[in-house]
Amino acid sequence: MADRRSEADLPQAKRPRVGDMDPASNPYLAHMYEDEAANSYGGGYGGQNGGRNGTSSRTGLSDFKRHATTSAQAHKAEDGPNNPFNNSPLSNQYFNILKTRRDLPVHKQRQEFLDMFQKTQILVFVGETGSGKTTQIPQFVLFDDLPHFNGKLVACTQPRRVAAMSVAQRVANEMDVKLGEEVGYSIRFEDVTGPKTILKYMTDGMLLREAMHDHNLTRYSCIILDEAHERTLATDILMGLLKEVALRRPDLKIVIMSATLDAQKFQRYFNDAPLLAVPGRTHPVEIFYTPEPERDYVEAALRTVLQIHATEPEGDILLFLTGEEEIEDACRKITLEADEMIREADAGPLKVYPLYGTLPPHQQQKIFDPAPPPARKGGRPGRKVIVGTNIAETSLTIDGIVYVVDPGFSKQKVYNPRIRVESLLVSPISKASAQQRAGRAGRTRPGKCFRLYTEAAFKKELIEQTYPEILRSNLANTVLELKKLGIDDLVHFDLMDPPAPETLMRALEELNYLACLDDDGDLTALGKLASEFPLDPALAVMLISSPEFYCSNEILSLTALLSVPQIFVRPASAKKRADEMKALFAHPDGDHLTMLNVYHAFKGPAAQSDPKKWCHEHFLSLRALQSADNVRQQLKRIMEKSELDLMSTDFQDKNYYTNIRRALVAGFFMQVAKKDPSGKTYKTVKDDQSVLLHPSTVLGVDSEWVVYNEFVLTTKNYVRTVSSVKPEWLLDIAPTYYDLSTFKSGEVKTALQRTLDKVKRKQATKRTK
Amino acid sequence: MPAQDPVAADEEIREEEDYMSMIVAEPTIPKVKETYTQRLRRKALESEARGRTKSKAERALEEAAAREDALAKSLLEDENASKSKGLKMMAKMGFKGGALGKKGEDGQGLMDGRLEPVGVVIKEDRGGIGLDNEKKRKIREEFESESKRVKAEEGDYRDRVRRERELAKLEGQVAAAQRVAERLDGEREEEAAGITGDGVPNGSISSKKINTQPLKSINVLWRGLIRGREEKERDRRMRYDLHQSLSRLPTYDDPDEDKDYRQALGKEHTQHVLVEDLEEEDPELDAFNELEPAERLEQLISHLRRDFNYCFWCKFSYPDSELEGCPGLTEEDHD
Repeated sequence: MADRRSEADLPQAKRPRVGDMDPASNPYLAHMYEDEAANSYGGGYGGQNGGRNGTSSRTGLSDFKRHATTSAQAHKAEDGPNNPFNNSPLSNQYFNILKTRRDLPVHKQRQEFLDMFQKTQILVFVGETGSGKTTQIPQFVLFDDLPHFNGKLVACTQPRRVAAMSVAQRVANEMDVKLGEEVGYSIRFEDVTGPKTILKYMTDGMLLREAMHDHNLTRYSCIILDEAHERTLATDILMGLLKEVALRRPDLKIVIMSATLDAQKFQRYFNDAPLLAVPGRTHPVEIFYTPEPERDYVEAALRTVLQIHATEPEGDILLFLTGEEEIEDACRKITLEADEMIREADAGPLKVYPLYGTLPPHQQQKIFDPAPPPARKGGRPGRKVIVGTNIAETSLTIDGIVYVVDPGFSKQKVYNPRIRVESLLVSPISKASAQQRAGRAGRTRPGKCFRLYTEAAFKKELIEQTYPEILRSNLANTVLELKKLGIDDLVHFDLMDPPAPETLMRALEELNYLACLDDDGDLTALGKLASEFPLDPALAVMLISSPEFYCSNEILSLTALLSVPQIFVRPASAKKRADEMKALFAHPDGDHLTMLNVYHAFKGPAAQSDPKKWCHEHFLSLRALQSADNVRQQLKRIMEKSELDLMSTDFQDKNYYTNIRRALVAGFFMQVAKKDPSGKTYKTVKDDQSVLLHPSTVLGVDSEWVVYNEFVLTTKNYVRTVSSVKPEWLLDIAPTYYDLSTFKSGEVKTALQRTLDKVKRKQATKRTK
Repeated sequence: MPAQDPVAADEEIREEEDYMSMIVAEPTIPKVKETYTQRLRRKALESEARGRTKSKAERALEEAAAREDALAKSLLEDENASKSKGLKMMAKMGFKGGALGKKGEDGQGLMDGRLEPVGVVIKEDRGGIGLDNEKKRKIREEFESESKRVKAEEGDYRDRVRRERELAKLEGQVAAAQRVAERLDGEREEEAAGITGDGVPNGSISSKKINTQPLKSINVLWRGLIRGREEKERDRRMRYDLHQSLSRLPTYDDPDEDKDYRQALGKEHTQHVLVEDLEEEDPELDAFNELEPAERLEQLISHLRRDFNYCFWCKFSYPDSELEGCPGLTEEDHD
């Protein structure tokens, strides 16, 4: 994920971060800088540190009456000369930005917004991408809500970490303040706020975690849920929570912001809250369908892109595909074909850029490079093609796109409680998604959208809205959070889209097996402790119980490694070499220990002298490892706070690795598979699903029992990140789950019974001795 | 499974059907004991099935089937559901089945709430949206039209056979009428030649049917007959020539061959001269052949009656145009 960057270069959580991130080059904000390309940031803060005394009596806001201000008043205060929030003189740059801000579509409706905001507790606000809602609405609120007058804050949530960080930086610039002071942000493992902070951008997950300790969110006078249409798990839970908090706290203002038109659903959910809509800056988009369904959507997409390049007038192309591999492959093919077109048909030059979440940020920036110029004077104009996942759908704005090619698929998380598998699967998008994609073509001028399916298929086969994340997720973690939030009746918790009863049943069961919930459904001490960790319950339980196995240091590292993206890099061009390098770290007992070996090597002096080079040579992701390092720091702090001992078994001890594997079982005993007597396949315990070991594993197929981190669904069922374990451990460490009377008869039960008998015999002989 | 004797089992049931006692009892099927050899064979088969390594495809199929099975079965209906601690906790929260969510007036969850988890569909190829359904639709349509056709055929079979037989009969009658017309026409020409000529009967020549008349001068009603015959003759000769040329080029002229030899080989004399316009298009004839056989027959019959005072059905040339004694124009009239 792109959003891991910051934590990587930020070993300390509270370092103010001004100037080290150029917002103009930020993909999430690029659309704001159309007119300011000439301006530079990083300077221009002179004088702002002087004359600030914390009292507001002399600021431009002194005659403001809370919840009774007007747009004109705010306008005047914004015009300076001093900063209305800290009374320092305003910089030139501030006034430059102010000009562009006032051109944003939301600005025309500032008074209208204030009128509604003042009249109601909950407001639904609809503004299309590019309307300026994310940066401007929180500022409009500040001028009316005046949180600093009574020691409160305004919170604005974002589904993505990068968005929270970059928007905060942008707004700090707009308000001419230092990031981390009046305006700050808070994301998992990183908090950049201070005592002066009055506007806090944060991920929705962070606000939820805060609510766990402060059920009424008393720190805040106004909460803005941005990008609510994305319906992330945390946003959905927050909405349910805020509905209850709103009753307990009539003084709390709530704004729900959405970019799409299903806003009526939000209105209904919030007891017919009033709605304000602001149009975006969009042009008409002509939509084309194929006459017949496509046999191969990737091939059809490539053909369409090349056809556009050959026949359509100037304008950039955005192609939506599903994942990294598919995108890289498509980019290669388009480039090859285009080169031929240039040689043979005198086509214009074509630049192809990939765009997906795991792409390093500097490569993501490239999508904002202008299209290439004509190859020679008077030649055909150049064009750029961006081949991206659905992160190009709403979250970032790329200008110059005139043509959108939409094959109609995206990778979506699915979870099914019946086979307990959470996986990313290529699935058809929704109608709403298709409309969003088409809309991308109309940012700059009238555009065209080529849908690679028939109109009938669009109408009949696509669902209306993408399923919200809550319907596609394992809810174990969410249930733990809700319990911590003080919500006891989970069955009747008022969610916008309640999940299937089975999903809740599974989550409760899992938490019960993990001993986080007792049989009455109440939080246990372990459960309370586990909820302190921003981790999945299985990981948290493994971490908390690791001192019992004398290896909490190692499990802490491992937990961090399992919480970050893939640390092994395997480029298509050097697969063999990458595999050889991985083999250097391989541990015969499995992938977990292999990862640990990598981490230990990474922390060694040889690697630390030049980590970048070392990682490159060993086909490891520096970003992922640094980020694991950072996560480890954060988790360590929580462990220390919770008084969990950090310890290691002596490396010379023969039980060093065994202890770690046993600790693994303490968290992942529900993710165990046993080898089938017939050969290569494994069967998951209890769910009885046939699985294969993922080809990336270092483990041979001679391990009888394995514990796995992930069940991956593709055309085959795979388990990924596996380590071998002993059946005795399962019976010993998780006796409730491995109570044989709960097993269906079969190979697994027989094998466990045999193990049990063996253990009993051994104990008996011991006793007689 | 041990083999069951269905007859024996049936009899068992019948014995129990005692209508007087009116006791509805479960029919007990006696277990036929399998013999030692039977058991041995069954065990062997079973262990063979177990021991065999399954192919990749088989395994993939089984895997998918197991997955689909598990996905189709609600956890709430599982036999272990009553033992589920998760479900017990939910019951404690007031769950009585139905959907989750805000308590409605009846104390239940959302009326239109979700009961089933979102399905898991695994895409195995790169087919575009709508392709699978399009394929299915096409297969279904094909199947439907196929079965429709089969049904239609079954119903019409007798009709069709009858129609075909009638058509064949009519074509036969047309050909017969054409032959009659040709003969009569020929006779008339001979007569005319005999009367107007030098009185030498030249029937022997004409009987050889050396036809040098252009086809277009023949009445269209029976021109088809002659054309067909000419075409057959041409094909025959082409085959013959081809056959000859296999050994010798037809143009090969051997000066040593004497006249008799050449005549014997059929090189000297062409017995049959093909009509000159055989290879030409004949729109008039084509138009005539387009007509229904009944129509052609009718035209031929009326021509025979009118020009030759001949009734095709009576097979008789009447002396005058009154055709006295002929019962009528149609076949039915002659029954």
